[in-house]
Amino acid sequence: MIKKFMSVMLSSLMLMTVFTAGCSKQPNTPAPAATAEKVHITFFTGKVETVDLMNQLIQKFNTENPNIVVEQEYQKDASNVMKVKFASGDVPDITTVVSQDYIDQGKYVDLSNEPFWSRNLDSIKALCTDVKSGKQYKVATNVTMAGIFYNKKIFADLNLKEALTWKDFVANLQVVKEKKPDVTPMFIAGKESWTLGHMIEFLAHGVIKQKLGVNASRLAFINNDSDKLAFDAPGGCMDTFAARILELKNGGLINKDAMTATYDNQKQDFAAGKVAVISQGMWVLGDLLKLNPNMKDDIGFSPFPSIIDGTKPVVLSAEDSVYAITAESKHQQEAKKFLEFLLKPENLKTYSEITKSPSAFKDVDADWGPLKDQATKALANAVNIPFTDTPAGFSGDDAGRMVQDLLVGKYKTTLDFAKAYKTTWDKAWKATHN
Amino acid sequence: MALFRTINNHLHKYMAVPAIILFAVFFIYPLTQGVGVSLTDSNGMTVPHFIGLKNFADFFQDERAKQDVWNTVLFALGSAPLLNLLGFLYALVLDRHFKGKALVRAVVYMPAVISPLIMGYIWYFILQPERGFLFRILQPLHVGFANSDWLGGRSSALIVLIVVNVWQYVGMTMIIYLAGLQSIPPELYEASKIDGAGYFSTLRYVTIPMLYPSIKINVVTNIIGSLSVFDIIIALTDGGPGYSTESLSIYIMRELYGSFTGYSTAVAIILFILIIIPVVAYLRFMKRREFEM
Repeated sequence: MIKKFMSVMLSSLMLMTVFTAGCSKQPNTPAPAATAEKVHITFFTGKVETVDLMNQLIQKFNTENPNIVVEQEYQKDASNVMKVKFASGDVPDITTVVSQDYIDQGKYVDLSNEPFWSRNLDSIKALCTDVKSGKQYKVATNVTMAGIFYNKKIFADLNLKEALTWKDFVANLQVVKEKKPDVTPMFIAGKESWTLGHMIEFLAHGVIKQKLGVNASRLAFINNDSDKLAFDAPGGCMDTFAARILELKNGGLINKDAMTATYDNQKQDFAAGKVAVISQGMWVLGDLLKLNPNMKDDIGFSPFPSIIDGTKPVVLSAEDSVYAITAESKHQQEAKKFLEFLLKPENLKTYSEITKSPSAFKDVDADWGPLKDQATKALANAVNIPFTDTPAGFSGDDAGRMVQDLLVGKYKTTLDFAKAYKTTWDKAWKATHN
Repeated sequence: MALFRTINNHLHKYMAVPAIILFAVFFIYPLTQGVGVSLTDSNGMTVPHFIGLKNFADFFQDERAKQDVWNTVLFALGSAPLLNLLGFLYALVLDRHFKGKALVRAVVYMPAVISPLIMGYIWYFILQPERGFLFRILQPLHVGFANSDWLGGRSSALIVLIVVNVWQYVGMTMIIYLAGLQSIPPELYEASKIDGAGYFSTLRYVTIPMLYPSIKINVVTNIIGSLSVFDIIIALTDGGPGYSTESLSIYIMRELYGSFTGYSTAVAIILFILIIIPVVAYLRFMKRREFEM
């Protein structure tokens, strides 16, 4: 009898525990006064190279603003993770991840009337402007450039000059291959598919961007204007790009481990003087100088050569380190306060000098790096192009994987690659335009 | 007292309620929601529309999906039999008495306790051409294959994935076989010996039939694990080069990220069916064998 009674009591206790545990905290229960005043905001980024720097700035902000706590979240595949965040409702307050599709969906706060625009460079403000609505949903703190980084010492030894045409570019690599067998003519970090995706954005899409101009090409990409983009045209930008990449591979002008080499490998080998040429953006500069500070006078920067005869060389000159505040954020004022903090001249100067990239703000005078003069020269000698407005479901990683497929011989012809690219692009575009 | 007695008499029925609630919330509800989403053109952002079975029909027209099914099946065909065969052989060897047996068992089992992601990265640094650990060890010996780009080739990358997967999980399979071997009554071996059976006859007519429950567990878990493989591929090849080692699980994730929420959910249901078919077929086959025994 006692045993039965005990078992009933114990069972009842267990059930009570389960129910009380479930009911113990109501969602609306006010927190203690001290913690209620603290607002936590999330800063979501995909920029691995700025994680440490942002942590420093966040620490400074948190100290200056004891009632706001900013927490940084970094994700490698940030553009895709952002999609899941929007879908699940776990939306950050402020982010570096901005896509046209999300702008179209009203996911960001309109920043058009913020006072900082008068300090922003006009060209960067134009690139931050949504071509559909004419409003600004993002602000860029820096200008980035991408082009060909080369080892000046190797070029001088071999009496090579910066190549502006594809023919000259290949000829340069050929000379390196023949005269310096220990040096890799061009190093491709193919394991990290975004590096290959960038080559499409700059070399292949560069043809479209220079043909149509900045705004018209942005509209063509955003609206998927297939007549203007002509991805699958024989002899068009994608077909030619594929042929050029295979030419490098078949000519033995790229590293043997192009499929498995990482971005770190690329930086290490370039900094060690084992590589003549890499295709990268200014974001690589800080790491190169960290790896080999003595190299600062040996790094050359030139535009991407034109891949189709009759076109001009291009250089990426675009908005970098963009920030947007999400419309779903419950702490938009606090997020704006953090954004204003990031846009203070002294913080922008620190950011520029550490990331080695020029500021997009007129009132910031930063000594951002040894490539200042060469970058100015490259901008003057080539068509300046922006990043591509890709559909949300077709990231640089996705495009890069198609280049990997090309390099391992999946496509019978270069035109097959061009057609597959168009099919994938169209599919991704249609997914968000139903 | 009567109330307590009533509660006590019926309490066992209600003890399952929390588990049923958890099962309903975390399995039944998402599953039904998933089936619903798979019948729409949901992209995770705009209002979805009902499109019937179009996503399922599209799957059979999708070249990348077909290749991923092929990759997944090849991986499973390579992994599951090897895991069982090697796990069984290890168990046979390590069931014997010899000095250092415990150490060898621990060494064989150790990879199984390491995260597949970490394992993938470790093997990546071992196999990387011109800079990997294997290259540095074999380079002075002038071994030809030391500098091969194993992970850069379409076929070789899949073979590496199978080998690494087998190496990692063979210890797990071995432990289950070992437990099975140790539960076989010694009298059966004695009877077999008295009947004049040799080693292989005993293995065939005593050991293997007595291991059917272990074989069943191992084969089923290996089929499920191999067909739903994800993490080791992400770490080692990221599904590459290109999409040549992409598994169906990775494809589902990428399609989900790529604004194809409805379609990716449909593919997830197809993968579920793909896993269920061999598992059910195998369980039915084993049931018949056990019945015949």
